[in-house]
Amino acid sequence: MYMNDLDKSKLITTQVDRWDLYARLTPTVFLVTCVLLIVYGVIDFETAFYVGVGMFAVTAVVWWWWAIFTIRHLVILLNRASKNLVEVAGEVKEVSREIEQLKNES
Amino acid sequence: MNLKQYAMIKAATNVISGLSMITLIALGVSYLSFKNAFVFQDINIEITNNPITQEKDIEFAMIGSKKFECNSTKVYGVAYAEDGSHSHKLDSFTKQYIRNTRPGEAIPNSWSMEVPFDLHEGGRYRVSMTGEFVCNYLIFTQHKSQTFDNILLIVDPRNK
Repeated sequence: MYMNDLDKSKLITTQVDRWDLYARLTPTVFLVTCVLLIVYGVIDFETAFYVGVGMFAVTAVVWWWWAIFTIRHLVILLNRASKNLVEVAGEVKEVSREIEQLKNES
Repeated sequence: MNLKQYAMIKAATNVISGLSMITLIALGVSYLSFKNAFVFQDINIEITNNPITQEKDIEFAMIGSKKFECNSTKVYGVAYAEDGSHSHKLDSFTKQYIRNTRPGEAIPNSWSMEVPFDLHEGGRYRVSMTGEFVCNYLIFTQHKSQTFDNILLIVDPRNK
């Protein structure tokens, strides 16, 4: 599905908000859950440790690829914006020259 | 919820999340450090009454320090003939060792073991002493095993 730059930017903003929420909640939720499970003897510390390491690894990999694709998109967006800005500047110059020319003729 | 309350909640969750992360990292590092540590440090084990003469037991002396609270659950030795031809298990204690020496300082320990019946022909052996322990540190508990190799044992031939 094709997305224009504005939609894509909105999507990135939403994703950033989700990452923010994830970073805010996950450590505390994980810590409290593990403490309860260990206290009630459901799991031992070693299991909690390896689950934590696994979650940390998955988060790191997902975040890494998300960051790469997001940066790529932002660089493309920045290049396109710069190019468009240069074109607009050129057109403004041309319009100014034409207006100047019209003034001189009249 | 007004903007001020929202900002306060956001700041509070930031602090709680940061503290949780610090706790998780500290616990993880402590656990790894505890899990990978040996039970005894600066350890030395020797047989003090070589050669073992008639009717004598094998007397061991050990010195070493422990970093953590560890209680031994099983201790045994294996005497390997120097020519590699055979081995004997040593697991009959005639004098017990101190099971739970305090951590942090080098404490001497000693024990005696019976010479196995099938070792009556005597000879030179290399003994490996293995200890199995349950160690505690902070909130962690871990089973550990440590082996000390190459203890010279000389047994004189015995009457059958």
